[in-house]
Amino acid sequence: MKSPALPLCIVLGLLAAGLAPVHAADAKLVITMMPKAKGNAYFISCKAGADKAAKELGVELLFDGPTDSNAAKQNEIVENWITLGVDVITVAAENKEGISTALRKAQKQGIKVLTYDADALADARSFFVNQATPQGIAYGLLDEAARLMGGEGEFAIITATLTAGNQREWLKYMDTYLPQKYPKMKLVAVRPSDDLKDKAQSEATALMSANPNLKLLMAICTPGTPGAAEAVKQAGKTGKVNVIGLGLPNENKRYVHEGVTESVMLWNTEDLGYLTVYAAAALAKDELKAGATSFKAGKLGAFEIKGDNILLGKPYIFNRANIDRFDF
Amino acid sequence: MNRYFREISVTIALGLVLLAMAVLAPGFFQPQPLLSLVTREAPTLVVACGMVLVIISRQIDISVGSQFSVCSICAGLLAARGWPLMLVVPASVAVGALLGAGNGLLVAGLGLPSIVVTLATMVILRQGLNLVQQGAFVNLPDNVQWFGLSQAVGQWTLVAAALVLLVAFGLAMRRIAAGRWVYAVGADAEAARLAGIRPQLVTFLVFVLMGILAGLAATMNIVQSPQVQPMAGAGLELKVIAAVVVGGVAISGGGGNVWGAFAGLLLLACVSPALTHLHIEAYWEKAIQGAIILLAVVADGLRPRKN
Amino acid sequence: MNQNSPSAGWKSVVLRYETLLLAVLVVEWFFFYHYGTTVNRKGVVVGFGTLDRQFDILRHSCEIGLLALALTPVILTAGIDLSVGSLLGLCAIIFGKLWREGGLELPLAAVLTLLAGALAGGLNAGLITRLRLPPLIVTLGTYSLFRGLAEALTHGAVTYTDFPAEFLFFGQERWLGLPTQAWLFLLAAIAVWVLVHRTTFGRSFRAIGFSPEGARYAGLPVGHRTGLVYVLAGLIAALAALIYTARLGQAKADAGTGYELFAITAVVLGGTSIFGGRGSVSGTLLGVAAIAVLKNGLACLPVVIRMNAAEEMSGMFTGALLLLALAGSILPNILSTLRLRPQAG
Repeated sequence: MKSPALPLCIVLGLLAAGLAPVHAADAKLVITMMPKAKGNAYFISCKAGADKAAKELGVELLFDGPTDSNAAKQNEIVENWITLGVDVITVAAENKEGISTALRKAQKQGIKVLTYDADALADARSFFVNQATPQGIAYGLLDEAARLMGGEGEFAIITATLTAGNQREWLKYMDTYLPQKYPKMKLVAVRPSDDLKDKAQSEATALMSANPNLKLLMAICTPGTPGAAEAVKQAGKTGKVNVIGLGLPNENKRYVHEGVTESVMLWNTEDLGYLTVYAAAALAKDELKAGATSFKAGKLGAFEIKGDNILLGKPYIFNRANIDRFDF
Repeated sequence: MNRYFREISVTIALGLVLLAMAVLAPGFFQPQPLLSLVTREAPTLVVACGMVLVIISRQIDISVGSQFSVCSICAGLLAARGWPLMLVVPASVAVGALLGAGNGLLVAGLGLPSIVVTLATMVILRQGLNLVQQGAFVNLPDNVQWFGLSQAVGQWTLVAAALVLLVAFGLAMRRIAAGRWVYAVGADAEAARLAGIRPQLVTFLVFVLMGILAGLAATMNIVQSPQVQPMAGAGLELKVIAAVVVGGVAISGGGGNVWGAFAGLLLLACVSPALTHLHIEAYWEKAIQGAIILLAVVADGLRPRKN
Repeated sequence: MNQNSPSAGWKSVVLRYETLLLAVLVVEWFFFYHYGTTVNRKGVVVGFGTLDRQFDILRHSCEIGLLALALTPVILTAGIDLSVGSLLGLCAIIFGKLWREGGLELPLAAVLTLLAGALAGGLNAGLITRLRLPPLIVTLGTYSLFRGLAEALTHGAVTYTDFPAEFLFFGQERWLGLPTQAWLFLLAAIAVWVLVHRTTFGRSFRAIGFSPEGARYAGLPVGHRTGLVYVLAGLIAALAALIYTARLGQAKADAGTGYELFAITAVVLGGTSIFGGRGSVSGTLLGVAAIAVLKNGLACLPVVIRMNAAEEMSGMFTGALLLLALAGSILPNILSTLRLRPQAG
């Protein structure tokens, strides 16, 4: 009956022995960075940039987030960081309103708050490191689609989950922009892939056979793009159905070279992580204040600040000509 | 008739769906896309065969999705290191067998409830994989996809392999003593023991077999594309369990067969592409999936019973 | 499993299991208190040992705690309800929709949401008791159905927000020193405890779990009583939905995804047998606490923080804890078999 206690005590004892007592006496700034989902390649490459910046600046970077996109878990992690007494919290918000409660609480305790990738409500953070406005992404993707489709015909979208925050916002902008700018283009379906490449592939296969006139598949989540490309390739429709979408170069190189995927759009995620950490450190040292119009981030040079948005610059379009120059 | 009521009713339901598709959206039946979709379900069918055995023996394994992911990544990493497929497949199967043996030891050896044991191993394996792999894709060498053969050959090979396994299990469950032992243990372990069967050994082997099939299914999945995603297999357990129980395998053990599970899997796998073909918005999909599961079991509940 | 042990001995085993769990909880707590509390750069005490953190733990465990409470009677009757997490999502949406689009007052919307929860629980109950279908399959179906309805009602897109401060008070503020929702949770816990341990209803749950046939022969209305636990589970899931909405200030179709597994884990860790008949509400509360402390405590350990692996670690340790608890619960059986064997041989 006492059995669980003994092994547990041993385990805990071993753990205790293995733990060097850590005191945060080293006067390093502690900057935290929360992705929407930790396992997402997009945020992994963000972290690579952030690590680089943290090393250059000599700050301690904590990178943690939910393993799947989950608004409630994001709040719980932020609240933990508050009690850990970190200096700056940076967040890619899964859900605007949801996260803002926790972020305001952090601000009340004197912790500086930055958002990157996806914004929270404006009063819940000091700055937003804006990699491209949702509007910019939505319009950019549609413009690229229109260019490839000649401004007319049917296309379909593969999204993450139906409830995913960023994707909802992009779709909202597309809904208004599409009929105004490209009235001859028709969005036939929006299908979820649950951020699974295999599911995206099945969805894309069904979409192509259900819509024989389909000219283009647009994937707006990173696992979706290679999934859709594989489906097109297997259907033997390379060249007939174009694939575009958000994605990392390494996951899509093969398809871009084979001519299945025309182009992959992404802002430079490594730079995004790098810039975010630099901005966070400057914020903590009071070097970055409201009203600033530009900001210098280490090796990357100066960035424009518009209002309370630090602009990373336009999203980058990777295609056959340039994709091999990138490795992330 | 009554004995195969559920298998027949599910097959009829599947027939009705296909008939409806033939009338409303004949485009559903184009050979190439259909082959691609069926190939994508081939690994699921292999896992479902294992689940049928597990459930017939009155156990459940909800860690199959995590086992599948772990095997996929192990196989992917080995293939990426240049191992030939001839070695990758047995390695993945061995990993699966090991994971299954772990579950089997806890369930059969210690007599712990399988639903809780596999709940624990599901979480441990999934989070362990997250910790190690951090979600990164594994890029595979060129000769892995379709075993280095042409796409059509590769797809037919996978579908054929899954069907051969299905038939083998279907026959073995009825004709081979070991197959009947599983039913016996699921129906009444004590009676089985008195009849000279070793229920613990049977249960243990069923879990090992489940792991082997998960490992095999994982390799059948990775040869379908040039990359492996660590999340592959997330949610697989629910999909497979739903297919198996819709197909008439009794959750209380001792009854059902792989044919019903096969029909159940096809029925559930049809829903998503069918909705796409009917141009029904995606947000109805989960509700319809749920309704189909309920309808299938309700039909069974309404059937007149002898007792 | 325990048929051969006298009922007094059986009772004391349960008692001891809970005491044991309490001991584990205390050890766990002090461990994290010791290793998870630090002084930061500004000389402020931070981490696990702060009152704020303790309140956060309470706040974070209320919804899963409620679902675990809901599941305790269900599992006592040898049933299971996989749909509670999805139902939480559906109820959150119903609540938001009634208030925002229906224009109802918040209290009225809340009451209707609770009714909707009970009704959804009634659907499970009807299918399980009237049609005599296995709970696992029925609730696997409604798991998908409820989540699907939540998505269909909102097209997956709508998020209900901007709830008034009076409502958010229930999820984000404190009342009489504790997070407000902790009081609601306490109330629910007492209610379920009284139901399970102090009424004949509660005893009938366990009787049904041990042997539905026996319970039927003893004259218990088995179908009625079994149905009741699922309706109750629906009601409590709706309450959890309200608290979830108040804590996050938003109602969205993905609310509560995956919560059912945490809740089941807590119930089983609390010593309730998955085969029914055996278990207690206090065990469930201890199970919830043990998991919550483990999860939040690990997130405060410097070594885990540096590894950026709080969620992975807490998942792995919770799984391990569950296996250990299971192994512990069967040890008496193994010992007694070992002791019996020489005599039998």
